[in-house]
Amino acid sequence: MSIWSRLFHRREMDAELDEEIRSHLSMAQRDRMDRGESESDASINARREFGNVLLVKETTRDMWGWTVVENFTRDLRHALRQLKKHLGFTAVAVGTLALGIGSTTAMFSVVKGVLLEPLQYRDPSRLFLAYARFPLLTWQKGPVNARHFHEWRTRCRACEFVAMVDGVAFGVAGRGEPRGVAGLRVSANLFRTLGVVPALGRDFLPEEELPGRSDVILISDALWQELFGRDPSALGQTLNLDGVPVRIVGVMPASLHLPKGAEWGTLIGMTQKPEIFRPLGLDVSQARALGAFDYISVVRLKKDASPREAQAEMSALSGELVRPFKIEVGAVLAPMHDEVTGGARQALLLLLGAVGAVLLIVCVNIGNLMLVRTSARYREAGIRIALGAARVALFRLVLCEALVLIVLGGVAGVGLAQLGVRAFVAAAPVDVPRLDEVGIDWGVIAFAAGSAAVAGLVCGLFPAWRLSRTPPLHSVKSASPQSTEGRSKLRLREWMVSAEVGISTVLLIAGGLLGLSFLRLIHVDKGFETEHIITQAFGLTSTKYRADDVQFRFLDRMMREIDAIPGVEHAGLTSQLPLRGESFIDTLQDFNQPAEAERRPYSANYRFVSADYWRALGVPLRQGRYIEERDYDRNVVVVSDKVVALLWPGENPLGKHLRMLTLVRNPVGFEPKRLPGGDIDFHAMEVVGVVADTREGALNREPPAVVYAPYRFQAVGWGSFVLRTQGDPVAAISQVRAAIARQDPEMPLPPAETMEEILDRSVAVRRFELNLAAAFGVAALALASLGIYGVISFSVTRRTPELGIRIALGASTGKLMASVLRQGMMPVLLGMAAGLVAALMLGRLIASQLYGISANDPLTISTVSGLLLLVALGACWIPARRAARIDPVRTLRFE
Amino acid sequence: MTKRYQNRIELLQGTLDMLILQTLRWGPQHGYGIAAAIRAGSQEVLQVETGSLYPALHRMEKQGWVKSEWKQTDNNQRAKFYNLTAAGRKHLAAEQSRWHQMTGAIAGLMNRGEA
Repeated sequence: MSIWSRLFHRREMDAELDEEIRSHLSMAQRDRMDRGESESDASINARREFGNVLLVKETTRDMWGWTVVENFTRDLRHALRQLKKHLGFTAVAVGTLALGIGSTTAMFSVVKGVLLEPLQYRDPSRLFLAYARFPLLTWQKGPVNARHFHEWRTRCRACEFVAMVDGVAFGVAGRGEPRGVAGLRVSANLFRTLGVVPALGRDFLPEEELPGRSDVILISDALWQELFGRDPSALGQTLNLDGVPVRIVGVMPASLHLPKGAEWGTLIGMTQKPEIFRPLGLDVSQARALGAFDYISVVRLKKDASPREAQAEMSALSGELVRPFKIEVGAVLAPMHDEVTGGARQALLLLLGAVGAVLLIVCVNIGNLMLVRTSARYREAGIRIALGAARVALFRLVLCEALVLIVLGGVAGVGLAQLGVRAFVAAAPVDVPRLDEVGIDWGVIAFAAGSAAVAGLVCGLFPAWRLSRTPPLHSVKSASPQSTEGRSKLRLREWMVSAEVGISTVLLIAGGLLGLSFLRLIHVDKGFETEHIITQAFGLTSTKYRADDVQFRFLDRMMREIDAIPGVEHAGLTSQLPLRGESFIDTLQDFNQPAEAERRPYSANYRFVSADYWRALGVPLRQGRYIEERDYDRNVVVVSDKVVALLWPGENPLGKHLRMLTLVRNPVGFEPKRLPGGDIDFHAMEVVGVVADTREGALNREPPAVVYAPYRFQAVGWGSFVLRTQGDPVAAISQVRAAIARQDPEMPLPPAETMEEILDRSVAVRRFELNLAAAFGVAALALASLGIYGVISFSVTRRTPELGIRIALGASTGKLMASVLRQGMMPVLLGMAAGLVAALMLGRLIASQLYGISANDPLTISTVSGLLLLVALGACWIPARRAARIDPVRTLRFE
Repeated sequence: MTKRYQNRIELLQGTLDMLILQTLRWGPQHGYGIAAAIRAGSQEVLQVETGSLYPALHRMEKQGWVKSEWKQTDNNQRAKFYNLTAAGRKHLAAEQSRWHQMTGAIAGLMNRGEA
C-alpha cells in the first residue's frame, strides 16, 4: 500500500485498531469473570493488565510507517489553528515577512541581472575593453585611435579578435518620419568578436569596412519590428542614413544586449540602445597614429592568453607607432563586464546591503513576536511536558508555526518581488546598466527561499528551543498570568531590541549621509542658471553639411530666426551644453610660452558659442567682456576661471593669447588642419573675457578648464540652442523647432529639454539611490520602534500585578514610569552605541557615494541619534503611561 | 509499578516475533489469545505486554509474515485473527535455527563457567 492510500485508509485503520483493543479487553474480562471475578473487578483488572491504551495505540500506529507524515500534518494543522486563532499576529507577521523577503529578493534580482550574470556573449570572460593610456594628456583610460587599433588587430598574438566601435546618432529617413536613431560605427569583426551572429541575413564582410564599400547596415530586432513589422523582406531594402542610401544586410537577434552610452566607457554620449550598425568606412591601415583618439576597442583574448600579456603586447605596438613623436602611448585592458557595470556596482551592492539589513530587522521583529507568543504559552508547554509530551514534539510544534509563517511570507514575498523589480526598472534612471536584463528566475527564487530559510531560523528556532526547554514544574507553578516572568527570557528580547536599534542606526546614518550629499550636490555652484532656460539639440550629420560653410550658413540663419521669436530674452548657441560630459578636450597652452606647455601639460574643454550664449545660460562674467557678434571672424576667446588659475595665476589674463588649432572633418572624425608644409596650423587667440567655471561633466566633478571660441571658428557638426524666455518656454521652443524644419525638413530632432530637466537627469541616479536608502532607513526605524514597543508593552503587561502592588504600596507614578522607561531604553542605548561604532567602521564603504561631507559627518550622526532616541522614547512612553495608570484594585483582584 | 515485572524475563530483541510466529503455527489466533498462549506455554514466566504485542503484530503484518482477518470467536466475540503466511513460516524456520545455534552456544559457555 502506498503511503497515500494508507493516509486515505487512516480512519479505517484507526477504527480497526480500536476494535481490536476493545475485543482484547472484553476477552480478558470474560476470562477473569470465568475465573470468578466480579464484572466490575474484571473490567478494571483487564484494563490494568492491558496498560496505557493510548500508548499502545500510539506505538502500534508507529508501525504503520507514516508517523513522520502524520506528525507533520498534525503539527501543521495545530499551527494553522493557532495562527487562525491569532489572526492579527499572523497578518502582521506574514505581511512584514513578505515585505522583507520581497524587497530583498527584488533587490537581489536586480543585482544578479546587472552584476552577477555574465554578459550574454559567447565565452564573455575572454572579452575586454581596450583603452589608450596617454600620460601626456593625463589619460589613464582614454579612447583609442584607429591606427593603433589596426596594429592590434593585425599583430597582437594574444588576441583572437580586436574590434572597434564609435557611437553615432544616425538621421534615418525614407521610412516614416525622419528621426534620430542611436547607432554604432563598427569594425567589420565586432559581432564575431562578441560571438553574436545575425538572426537574419549576414554579418559584415571584411572589405565592407573600407571607404566606398560601407553602404550596408545591420539593424536591431527592435528597429526591424518598428520599421518593417518583422517582415523578412527588409533584407536588401535601403534606408536613408544621413542623406546616404544604405542597404540592410542583416537583423541582429532580439537577445543581443549591447552596452548603452557611457557603459562603453567615457566617450559615447548617447543614452539610447544602439539600433543601427554600420561599418567604419575607413581604411584603418592608413589612419594617422596621433589624433582622432575617438574609439572604444573590444578585445577577445585567445583561450590560453592572459590579459596582462595582451596588454603588454598592445602597449608595445602602440609605443612603436608613436616613437617618432617622442611621446608615450600604451594600452589598458579591463574586463568588459566590469566596465559595463562598473558605475552601478557599488550603489547596487550598498542597496542590497541595506535591504538585507531591513530583512534582518524583520526577522528579529518576528522572532520577538514569536517569543512573546511562546511566553504566553509557557504554562501550556509546562503542562504538556508534565503530561509526558516529548520535548522534541514541542520544539516541532513551534518550529512548524514559524515554518507556516515563513512559507506564507516567502510566497507573498516572491509575488511582491515581481512587482518590486518592475517598479525598480520603471523608476530607475536609464543609467543603470543592463536593466533590461533583470528579471525573476530560478536563481532569484532560490535566493528568496534561502533568505526565507534564514528568516525561519532566526524567528522560529530560538523560540522553539526556548519553549522546548521549559522546566515543567516551574512553569506550572510560576508562569501564571499573574506572576512576573523569568529574567533570562526578558534579556533575550532586550538583545533583540539592541540588534534592531543597531541595524537601524547604521541604515539611518547611511540614508542621512546620502540625503545630505544630495542636498549639497544640487545646491553646488554649477556656474550657470537653470530656471526659464530651454534647450534644443541638433545634429548636422547629413552629408549635405560636409562643407563648413554650409554649417555656418545654417547656424547664422537659425540665430537670426530665433532672435525674432517673441518672448525670448536671450538666445545662444553652443557646441555642447554643461552637464553633458567633458568633450572636445585638447591641450591648453599659452601661445607665447610653448616651453611651459611641455612642463605642465594642461588640457581644456573647447566650446564654440554665439555672442549671447552666456547671457542665455546665466554664466557670470568675471573680467573683460563676452564675445560679441563683431568677434565672429576674429581670433578671440573667452576663458573660464580655471584657465586663468592654471596658466596665469595672479596675472591679468586679458590680452594674453592661447595657442589653438582648427580641426577639419575627415570621413571618420576630426584631424588638425595643417599648413601646406605639413605643420599644424596654430592660431593665437586673444583672451577678451573671463567667465565663471561651469560643471561640464557630472555635477559632483570639479569643473574643468573651458575655452570658448566663436562658433564660426570651428565647424563641429552638432550643438544646442539655448533660450532664456519670459513666458512659456515650450511655446518658444516649438517655434525654434518649426524654424529648423523650415531650414531642413529632413533633420531629425531630439526632444527639447529645459536646463532643469538636464540637471535633474544628471542627478537621477543619486536621487534614485537616495530615495531607496531613505525608504529603507524609514522602514528600519518603523520596524525597530514597533519592536521596542512590542517588547516594552509586553513586559508591562506581564508586570501588571507587580506594578499594581507597587502602586497599592504607594509608589509614585513618576517612579514607575521611570522604571519602565529605564528598562526599555537600556537596550536601545546599547544598540545605538553598537550601531554608531559599526557606522563609523562601515563609513568608507559609502564614502565614494558621498559628496561634500565625510562619512562620519557629526551633524548627520547626531541628528540620526537624536531621531532614534526620540522614536525609541516614544515607543517606550506609551506602555510606560499604561503602567502608571494601572488600577491596583483591579489587578490585585485577579490574583 | 515497575517492581511487578522484576521477576519476569525481558525478552531478547527479535525473540517476541519468534514466539508469536511459533504460537501461530497451530492456527489463526487473536492478540489476546497469543498473549495468553505465550504466558501459559511459559508457565507464566514470559509475560507479553500489549505495548509490545500489538506493534509487533502490525509490523509483521506489514512485513508479510502474518495476515489478519476478522472472525467470530467460540464465544461469539468478533476479533481480529492473525494467520501465518508462507513467508512467515520461512522466517520462523530461520529464526528457530538461529535460536538453536545461539542457545547452544550460550549453554556451552555457561556450562564451561560452572565446571
